[in-house]
Amino acid sequence: MKIVVLVKQVPDSGAERNLRSDDSTVDRDSANNVINEMDEYAIEEALKLREAHGGEVTILTMGPERAAESIRKALSMGPDKAVHVLDDALHGSCALATSKVLAAALKTLEPDLVIAGAESTDARGQVLPHMLAERLGAAALTGARKLTVDGATLTIERQTEEGYEVVTASTPAVVSVWDTINEPRYPSFKGIMEAKKKPVQTLSLGDLGIDAGEVGFGGASTAVVEHARRPPRQGGTRVNDDGEGGVKLVEFLVSEKFV
Amino acid sequence: MNFDHTPEQAQLRDAVAAMGKRYGHRYFVEKAKSGGHTDELWAEAGKLGYLGVNVPSQYGGGGGGITELAIVCEELAAAGCPLLLLLVSPAIAATIIAKHGTTGQRERFLPGIADGTLKIVFAITEPEAGSNFHRLSTVARRDGDDWVISGRKCFISGVDEAPLVLVVARTEDAGTGRLAPALFVVPTDAAGLTKSRLEMEIVSPENQWMVYLDDVRVPGEALIGEDTSAGLPALFSGLNPERITAAAMGVGTARYALERASSYVSSRSVWGRPIGMHQGVAHPLAHAAIQVELARLMVAKAAALYDSGRDLEAGVAANMAKYASSEAATLAVDTAIQAHGGNGMTTEYGIATLLGGVRAGRIAPVSREMILNFVSQHILGQDKSY
Repeated sequence: MKIVVLVKQVPDSGAERNLRSDDSTVDRDSANNVINEMDEYAIEEALKLREAHGGEVTILTMGPERAAESIRKALSMGPDKAVHVLDDALHGSCALATSKVLAAALKTLEPDLVIAGAESTDARGQVLPHMLAERLGAAALTGARKLTVDGATLTIERQTEEGYEVVTASTPAVVSVWDTINEPRYPSFKGIMEAKKKPVQTLSLGDLGIDAGEVGFGGASTAVVEHARRPPRQGGTRVNDDGEGGVKLVEFLVSEKFV
Repeated sequence: MNFDHTPEQAQLRDAVAAMGKRYGHRYFVEKAKSGGHTDELWAEAGKLGYLGVNVPSQYGGGGGGITELAIVCEELAAAGCPLLLLLVSPAIAATIIAKHGTTGQRERFLPGIADGTLKIVFAITEPEAGSNFHRLSTVARRDGDDWVISGRKCFISGVDEAPLVLVVARTEDAGTGRLAPALFVVPTDAAGLTKSRLEMEIVSPENQWMVYLDDVRVPGEALIGEDTSAGLPALFSGLNPERITAAAMGVGTARYALERASSYVSSRSVWGRPIGMHQGVAHPLAHAAIQVELARLMVAKAAALYDSGRDLEAGVAANMAKYASSEAATLAVDTAIQAHGGNGMTTEYGIATLLGGVRAGRIAPVSREMILNFVSQHILGQDKSY
């Protein structure tokens, strides 16, 4: 089975993150850039499938030069090779344009299965897997907390707020996963040392036959008009127990729709 | 001069730190207090190749050096899991066997040390001789093809966890008639080997033992190397890795304590502001942080010198790193406890549990006084004082 895992480099969600003041894109310079957390679960799922069914796992990343660090890190977990779509013209691309570029790269790889994290910690749109499935004419199995493969048949448990749905499709398919699906492995020392020898192919927009005008700010279907920092947390409500504390607590919880 | 890790070393640091955090200090303390061992952590670290980073790759290891092993020791300690046996099995035993063992010994022992399925502990210290091998009284005599070993060892770590112990004994050199050190791989369940536990005031899942060898018979191939001449260089080859990794563990422990203290003083508010905003609280922690970082630099230098084969310089740096690290770790833990007030002595806050360990670090594996003697003699050119 040929599996491609989408890996995005994002600013560490545990630290302070900013948008750039000049063009409202993510400020990568001041951030500690890491693999999007959910993508590690996607990698783990792909590696488990390779262990069970054989095949090959390829990492696909679109991002600036420094995303190469995250690619190496992803490779140290065990995938076979990687493709890095790298082009200065991509800066400022919207989700639609990103899906166009990734779909073009995926067509060159002809995967049976594409696995992605359900969302990235920076944009949190959750839309990319759907867009890719549409562009590739592949099934979209999104938000999985469990994935089983039986020949060309894929079954997922799709996580919802109330429980889960069982959804089935055939390959080719795009599957997106939540962090409930597995426990990602740590890279072994051997994996770390081997990662630098694994092939990483770099593709430009020209290689993919996409015009620079279709992507970046010029080709964006959406624009960030304005942005502001979240207001600082307010002090909260203090309930003093003068005999009616319990009632007041419940009233507060009701007013906030917690109960 | 380059202060950067290679990308692979940086990644190893991240990976070990992430794994260590999942276990954490609470796990370490629970194992210590229940009389258990950190088997799960050891097995996982072994499987991921972290325990064998310095073992040659043809024997299943990572093919790295003491720099990599020091990273593993430091990061596990920084996650609250200062594992003493890292200094013993991968640092001492693997180095001695890789450098001075026979091909058969390398093939037999190194793969297991590398993946963590085999622990080999180390017995040099004696009640009357300390670590001074000139005065060791444990003697091995030849009997046909076998060796028969008798003597007493003390402060031997992890004998209950390891099937094998590397015993430093003395043999009579046939040529000169002088007693020379030799190393033997002895099964811990060998007939004539008995052990008794030393009760220690250190919170650790790894135990200390007295080991008694009463005419313990081992086959000829138990001797490390082709003949007894391998003994002295083999013994020396294990000491620098031990000191460097001990120093790395001290630095990691200190980082753990300072991280706990930093987070505590920035979140605990008295009279309307975090106590960390008071210089009386922050400065001692800042002072300790500087001492720790200085020691950390020396660990990196010692490891780099050792890995580039500059043994004499590495010896000086390893001693200095060990000295600096144990002093800095003791200071950091003490300062972190003080910053916590009464909470600092509770089990819950997980710092006072480190007191015994860092204090012991000023004594073992080599005491601060012996390092000061070494520096007086070899750096300052003074006559030997003992």
